[in-house]
Amino acid sequence: MKKNALYLLIGCIALALLAIFWYSVEIENPYLIDISFVLGIVIIYFARKNVTDLIEDERSAKITEKAALRTFQVFWVLFCVFSISAVMQILRVPSFPRNRTFEHIPNGPPAVPEIMPPRMMGYIQLGLLCLMIFLYVGFRFYYARKYGDWETDEE
Amino acid sequence: MHDMTQEDLAQTIGVTRQTILAIEKGKYVPSLDLAFKIARHFNVNVEEVFTYEVESRTVEID
Repeated sequence: MKKNALYLLIGCIALALLAIFWYSVEIENPYLIDISFVLGIVIIYFARKNVTDLIEDERSAKITEKAALRTFQVFWVLFCVFSISAVMQILRVPSFPRNRTFEHIPNGPPAVPEIMPPRMMGYIQLGLLCLMIFLYVGFRFYYARKYGDWETDEE
Repeated sequence: MHDMTQEDLAQTIGVTRQTILAIEKGKYVPSLDLAFKIARHFNVNVEEVFTYEVESRTVEID
């Protein structure tokens, strides 16, 4: 298999997964997309092993390694910063700034201050996980450039 | 001296042409293993292909 055929296959699998995702939403069955995703990754893994013109040398391994490490370093800081503030919200630390309060019911319990609903915290954490992909791509470009991926012969 | 393209050398030692180019341009420092492979390919010592330069750093002392 050639390198371009692999990229074409990855594109097709991505499109198929997108379609399966929406179909899973439609039929309200998350297992379908879960299993399809794992299958897609397995197919890509085995297809990649059969590519004949894809050379992975120590320079490309170093680029991948550096990009992954830097992504992880940035990600865990961002993720921990948000998670700590989320835990503080759950523990209701008194000095924590409040932006929103639940509606106060007359003669009812005192209004419970809340910054964001717990579900929103989960969505933001999910968003941070997605950010990881963009971080990785960005760092990969950076290190590929640093280690001469786009260098050309001048003579 | 050696009538050989970057592509030929890259294929022989199992790296990409871009890696050879990056080494030539000083963008990438090869591992010892790769350095020895390149030197051995040309039947020379590794010091004849690569030179080690200590990175100079200026330290200001008050």
